[in-house]
Amino acid sequence: MDESSIVLVLFGTFLFLLVIGAPVTVSLGAAALATYFYLDKTPIVMVQMAFRSVGNFPLMALPAFILAGALMEAAGISKRLVAVAESFAGPFTGGISAATVLACMFFGAISGSGPATTAAVGMLMIPAMVKRGYDKGYASAITASAGGLGIIIPPSIPMVIYGISAIGLSVPFEAIEKYGSFQSVSITKMFIAGVIPGLVISLSLIILNYFRCKKLGYKGSGEDWNLCIVADAARKGKWSIMAPVVILGGIYSGWFTPTESAIIAIFYTLFIGVFVHKELKLQDIFRSLETTTWLSGRVLLILFTATVFGRILVQYQIPAIVAESMLSITSNIYIIWFLIIGFLLFVGMFMETLAAIMILTPVLLPVTYNLGIDPVHFGIVMICCLSIGFATPPLGENLFVASGISNISLEEVTSKALPFAAVSAIAVFVIAFVPELSLFLPRLFGY
Amino acid sequence: MGKKLLYILDNIESYICRTLLAVFVCLLFLQILSRQFFSYSFSWNEELSVYMFVWFVFFGASYAAKLAAHNRVTFQFKLMPASFKPVLEFIADLVWIAFNCYFIYLCIDFIFNKMLPFNKSQTLGIHMKYFYMVLPIAFSLMTIRIIQVNYYKLVLGIDIRDPDSQELEDIKELELDLNDTNKNKAD
Repeated sequence: MDESSIVLVLFGTFLFLLVIGAPVTVSLGAAALATYFYLDKTPIVMVQMAFRSVGNFPLMALPAFILAGALMEAAGISKRLVAVAESFAGPFTGGISAATVLACMFFGAISGSGPATTAAVGMLMIPAMVKRGYDKGYASAITASAGGLGIIIPPSIPMVIYGISAIGLSVPFEAIEKYGSFQSVSITKMFIAGVIPGLVISLSLIILNYFRCKKLGYKGSGEDWNLCIVADAARKGKWSIMAPVVILGGIYSGWFTPTESAIIAIFYTLFIGVFVHKELKLQDIFRSLETTTWLSGRVLLILFTATVFGRILVQYQIPAIVAESMLSITSNIYIIWFLIIGFLLFVGMFMETLAAIMILTPVLLPVTYNLGIDPVHFGIVMICCLSIGFATPPLGENLFVASGISNISLEEVTSKALPFAAVSAIAVFVIAFVPELSLFLPRLFGY
Repeated sequence: MGKKLLYILDNIESYICRTLLAVFVCLLFLQILSRQFFSYSFSWNEELSVYMFVWFVFFGASYAAKLAAHNRVTFQFKLMPASFKPVLEFIADLVWIAFNCYFIYLCIDFIFNKMLPFNKSQTLGIHMKYFYMVLPIAFSLMTIRIIQVNYYKLVLGIDIRDPDSQELEDIKELELDLNDTNKNKAD
């Protein structure tokens, strides 16, 4: 049975089902099943894979982080964190919109999701920007664009998913022969590696924001701004600032695994919400549990079918063939990165981030191994690319949320957000071409 | 009374999942506390919480089906005539049901015919088939939910909105007083 007919059955069924509107998880599972039938093999192995792909201790970080994020919102931790960022605005050109980027960075450090970041930050910052005379479209655009930072700045749910997907794939033998051994992937390593790339993208957004605000004449108001305002906001939000310290400090110091750290965050939030802020009601806790239920259920069902799908790919060495044909076009690593990033940006425009990671990791990671690219570095580039997809049409969740908040048409927000997407894409190329940006910190921490 | 029972049955996955989630989060917290403060780890804790997590995931997937929350790619429908969408989605759901039914058959075959009698969990000592039972149960429930959603949509004409767009609607309805603030400034 030659590989090209397997590819045709597998991807053909998958794409056909996607186009007729079947859920991603069904498209993957039915495509894998069709391939098993085509090859005349029994698909009974799927049952064990259903149980084993999900029954994985590090994966429990996913519901734990989703629950922690939902509780932090209800406990008033999120809004105080945004208020701290807002206090930095001051009398600078583009100050309040730069503070929005800052708020998304802070928020990214407690939440692992893009649209959640946009919603939480946008609800407070878009009105604040409009009050200072900013155009509503521009205010929505910068929030939607910066919302993607939520998944690059750790903790990040996509990084948990990438880590799990990558751990399950063994390094191809030929790649080790050619490039020596690769470092192993872990969720902790991903969390540390994401910090500097997150800062690079934030910086690129803030720089473009400065120039655009200068052109539009958005000067800072509040001449009476001084450091006391910042200090005051920080004092009021001290329990919120502690939240990222608790989460990330526990992971970086090596005391806790990411899963345990998320559990600590849940109980920290419960304590602050009930006893300190006194805002967390029993009703909120039930609602947070419910949201976590359907979010985890839908994501992890995709994980099961994507695992089956990926296993067929690896079994028939399809990624190796892709790598070979790429290398036959060019062996220039920059051009190869260009192709990979272009492809990822394209996929990010159409597909939900977590589904894209689960489908593409088994396809692309073995390819990048064969090209000698570090797996942690590749993971960071992939997540950065997909985060841009949050703010590009046609499926830009952040744009939907931001235009929903400001009541400005999607087209207007989109057109004003595109320059930010472009500058983020440039930042992604920098991150791809300079591996040290991603790999320096994990090494420093001794991972 | 009957109505209440029906309501509970209609949200059965939600109740199961919320309980499982709360319990395994507490179990893991207990493990952290006992390890940090008493340098003692319960050997069964990790395994039990992982298996509860698996149950939570598959019942959660069924709950997501009830909410019509499973991700689909939909932008291509904008390029087609409007009448295509319901027909294609109905066909897609039939494929989903067929997939589930075949998978349920595989699970039952695996659990009752293929599993070895000494296949026990490592620390709990319970036969693995009891843990695997979640697969046929949850996929059967999910199939019922798909039919339920389609019944609401096609027969009763109630469109079940997926929670993502529902959330967006809620945000829109909040009517943040953007316009008012501008007006105040003008005054």
